[in-house]
Amino acid sequence: MLEQQLINGLTLGLIYALIAVGYTMVYGVIQLINFAHGEIYMLGAFFCVTLITAAGLPFYVAMLMAVVCCAMCGILLDIIAYRPLRRAPRLAALITAIGMSIFLQNLALIIWGSRSKPFPRTALPGYLTEQALTVGSVGLSWLQLFIFAVAIGMMLLLYLVIQKTRIGTAMRALAQNRTAAALMGINVNRVISFTFALGSAMGAVAGILVAIYYNTLYPTMGYTAGVKAFAAAVLGGIGSVPGAMAGGVVLGVAEALGAGYVSSLYRDGVAYAVMIAVIVLRPSGILGRAVTDKA
Amino acid sequence: MLELKEVQAFYGTIQALKGVTLEVNAGEIVCLIGANGAGKSTTLMAISSVVPVGGGTIAYDGRDITRLATDRVVALGITQVPEGRMIFPDLTVLENLRMGAYLRRDRAALKADEAHALDLFPILKERRKQLGGTLSGGEQQMLAIARALMARPRLLLLDEPSLGLAPIVVEHIFEVITRINTEGTTLLLVEQNAQMALQVAHRGYVLETGRVVISGTAADLLADPRVQEAYLGMDMA
Repeated sequence: MLEQQLINGLTLGLIYALIAVGYTMVYGVIQLINFAHGEIYMLGAFFCVTLITAAGLPFYVAMLMAVVCCAMCGILLDIIAYRPLRRAPRLAALITAIGMSIFLQNLALIIWGSRSKPFPRTALPGYLTEQALTVGSVGLSWLQLFIFAVAIGMMLLLYLVIQKTRIGTAMRALAQNRTAAALMGINVNRVISFTFALGSAMGAVAGILVAIYYNTLYPTMGYTAGVKAFAAAVLGGIGSVPGAMAGGVVLGVAEALGAGYVSSLYRDGVAYAVMIAVIVLRPSGILGRAVTDKA
Repeated sequence: MLELKEVQAFYGTIQALKGVTLEVNAGEIVCLIGANGAGKSTTLMAISSVVPVGGGTIAYDGRDITRLATDRVVALGITQVPEGRMIFPDLTVLENLRMGAYLRRDRAALKADEAHALDLFPILKERRKQLGGTLSGGEQQMLAIARALMARPRLLLLDEPSLGLAPIVVEHIFEVITRINTEGTTLLLVEQNAQMALQVAHRGYVLETGRVVISGTAADLLADPRVQEAYLGMDMA
């Protein structure tokens, strides 16, 4: 029972982590909570399914293309909605983000309808629908292993990009001091675009994985996932990428344990309780630093 | 090399520059002196396009750069060491240096320049793997200068390099400033420490409330009673 809940929690947590890094990276470079990030996650799932059902593409190709499309959507979102407000008060950008979230959700409703759709499972490679191994009463599916592998792989890749590449270092520099970054000759808008692309790609992957895992997708799916991943980012310390990863996993496990041992009705409640506890007890998050450091 | 004509700049409705006209010739060290709030830093920020220019023109090698984006100004060879150093606290010393060379692609020459920069400030070599934020004020200033040099600027804008530093460190910094100049880089230097600045500079401008009020060779300025009284701390009475 416990082992099973831990495995389920880890699966969910890695997905939250994938979404949460998008919130935290964007916050790091432009101090904006991109509330439309959950919608990018939703679009990832819909793009992927549409490419499979309408265009007849094989799963992996559809997934890759959906991720690339979402990365471009992320860039466009920034250019259209946020860039004009770069010098405006932060509240203006924040409200715009909420507006973009509502807009994208409704756009999806118009395009794909409000009814939830199943993921076209026949398009999936056969093994993804099979059980990988069962030990006693604990089952681990190939799909869960696939989620582990993809999520951990993406996060390792992200880590390497941020730590080792020129543009990744520029991202960190920009987050630490924007004026100084510009004075280094860094094209600030280009680095911000890159950050949106990277975060959106991670979010899209998460959306696709969830749609397969729960075998369902619907236009409002980004809302709950978005709020929870945001909670994970806050839990880890907003602005901290390793924090978002850790926060996602902690939140996923807490939620699975809450659902398993208390009642599955409290699944979402646990996530919000964790977020409230963090805000009250340690507002800077697990790996975040005190806000005064930023000044 | 650099020519400012009647440059104006605003912070909201406050006019920080009311028409600054000055020029810097290739090979020179030119210093801007003046009291707090006179517009010295704003002038440098306007040249780097960090503060938008509200009027007037800035030309570099005869080309109008008034409205260029900051990164394009850097690409033309104008680099700034900003007031307060603005090093990246969570990047290592080496990463800070590499950010200075962000626009350069010539990897081989980069290595040599990195070695040269660490050579100018040997302490940075010892600390190259440390995070920038763990350095002392003087070391941060050295890092800021070394980082700016990594861009191989033709014109280096230096804002208050001596601010808050111990006299012995200030002396070292000014030695390096002279050395950078003899190695071929033109400098525009903003300093509160007018005495020190005028000793290394060829020419200078005195700014008061957003305007140039006195200009001349460094020797002339040092001898000017108005400068002596207001900026060199000499009692004329």
